[in-house]
Formats: sequence, structure tokens, C-alpha cells
Amino acid sequence: MHEFSIATILVNSLLDYQKKDGGNPGKLLEVYIRVGRLRSVSVEQLVYSYDLLVKRTSLSGSKLLVEEIEPKVSCPKCNFKDTFERRDESFHFALPSLSCPRCGASLSLEGGDELQIAKIRVQKVTA
Amino acid sequence: MVSSGGVITSTEGEVFDIELETDILKANKELALENHRVMKEHGITSIDVMGSVGSGKTSLIKAMVSILKNRYRIAVIEGDVTTTIDADLIAAENIPTVQVNTGKECHLDANLIKKALARLKLNELDLIFIENVGNLICPAEFPLGSDKRLVVISVTEGPYMVVKHPMMFIEADTVAINKIDLAELMDVDPSKLRNDIVTINPKACVVPISCRRKDGVAEIGRSLGLD
Repeated sequence: MHEFSIATILVNSLLDYQKKDGGNPGKLLEVYIRVGRLRSVSVEQLVYSYDLLVKRTSLSGSKLLVEEIEPKVSCPKCNFKDTFERRDESFHFALPSLSCPRCGASLSLEGGDELQIAKIRVQKVTA
Repeated sequence: MVSSGGVITSTEGEVFDIELETDILKANKELALENHRVMKEHGITSIDVMGSVGSGKTSLIKAMVSILKNRYRIAVIEGDVTTTIDADLIAAENIPTVQVNTGKECHLDANLIKKALARLKLNELDLIFIENVGNLICPAEFPLGSDKRLVVISVTEGPYMVVKHPMMFIEADTVAINKIDLAELMDVDPSKLRNDIVTINPKACVVPISCRRKDGVAEIGRSLGLD
């Protein structure tokens, strides 16, 4: 549900960027963003919202490309390392956990909370 | 690339990349930090209260205000989609309240909190509760600038509330399991809910409560450093 809010903020910041960059930065072809798996952001809904929002703007036709970032966990006590989501036989899905499966200590988390514009791909056009 | 007058410019039709490396929600993050700074300047502790619709967020805040208002000067910012029902309930405790209606949005954001803070006499406050919109997903994405996060769930939401919404619990400081007096009736095992919460976030302090019976409310305050 909040994907539409996030896409609105993204589109507005891209439009602002276009204005700032001398008014003629070229045609926006692609926007590369990173979304950490810890974010409650549905990539499909984000892309859908983006496509709706850019219609009839100068960003029309541009594509939103999303790289999903898997968080990593490590245990400060026993040095256990893993990805964040682990299969639990009692569930039929992956349950995220910050509890070390080896020694029970609290795991440190690295990455996975990204929500960033990495870069944009632009084609030079003459005004 | 063509060089002209010492400046390298791209040619017509050339495709090039511009590295931006910026946070999409940077503006909200910066406003949240600003809200936090403003509250700290006034010596105010702030608690973001999140949880599902009908879990008992307002009841818990009201019960906490009732036992803490002799020791703290408290205000409550009430976030909801519409109506002033919650702010009116809290106002019965004779403390300042601000109702923030989001209209159709499913969460509060830092800008709305900034506006709400402008309505309060911060010099006359020690503690602010911010009740977020009832929702276990969206509010986790929009930090408000509070010191601590309190998540309220209840046994009437069934046994799978935690595992279905794990992200809400990752950054929670305290989790209240409300309506504990109804656990048997609902056939929900509170110890299983507790186990789910600490599996996701071993640092979270989990407190079973019953707002109706006023059980466990003081313990929630203690877990948040409010003695």
C-alpha cells in the first residue's frame, strides 16, 4: 500500500533532479534502485506504481529496475554467518530471525535495509 | 565524447549513466532526525506506538498516561485515518493531545509529526506518545524520530500475527501482547507468540498485558525506561 507513496517520492525526486541539471539532462531511459529484503516493499507494486506515475511526465517511457539486496547476519559470540531468512521445518515459509541458531545469541545484521537510487541511465537529446 | 572549450560533453544520442547513490526516503529520514533533535532539545522522551487495528494501542496509551501523568508531563499525538475518537479518549486524561488524520494514507510520516510537534508546548512536556495508524506493515517504513518503538498485538488477532508480519518486530524495543485475559477463550498460546517474537528479535522485551484489567501496564512503562 505504501509502495505508491514511495514511488511518488521517487518520481518527484527524479523530476526535481531533471530541473536542477541545467534543464536538459537528456531523456531518462532507466532508473536503477536497490531495495533491501528487510524493507516491507513489494517490488512488483513499486514498479507498477512507478509506471502509472510517470505517464504524461517527462519521465514517460523510463523503466524502473530493481536490485533486491539480501541481508546478512553474523554472530558476535560464535561467529556463525548466514543470510537472514532461514527455512524452518515447522513453517512453510522463510522466517527472518535475529536469534543465532547455533548459540542463541543476538545476531548482528548487515545490509538489507537499502532503499536507494543507485544510478540513472540517460540518453542525450538536443532541446 | 567531444571536447569543446575544455569541457567534455556527450554527443547527441549518447547513452550515459549518472551515479546518484541517494536514499529514496532521505527527506523523511532527515525530518525524523530533525524531530528527534527538537524533542531532545526540550528533554522529551518519545515513544512510537504501533500495532494492528483494534490491538489496544489507544487503551494502552490511556492506561499508561493514567499511571505516569503524576511523574511526567505527557502529550499524545494520535494518528488515524479519520475521526478524533482516539484523541477524545486520551483527552479525558486531561493532557494535551493532537489528532493527525492521514485521510487515506496507511501510516504517519515525519512531516506529519513535525506539524503535530508545532502544535504542542514542548517546553511544558517530558514525554510524548505517538500512536501510529493501525497497521503492521507500512509504519515500519517511515521513522518518525521517536526514541523507542512499542508494538502492540493482541491474542484476538490469532496465533499467526507475528510470523505473518515479522518486519514490524525487528526494530521493536517492547512488544505488548494485549487481551491476555482472553487467551484461553481464543485458544491462542501467548508463550508461542512470545517465542515467535524473540526468535525474530531477541532484544525485544515482551510483556503480556490486559488493558481491560490494567495488568502489565506498569511493566510496559518500566521496559521503556519510564519508572
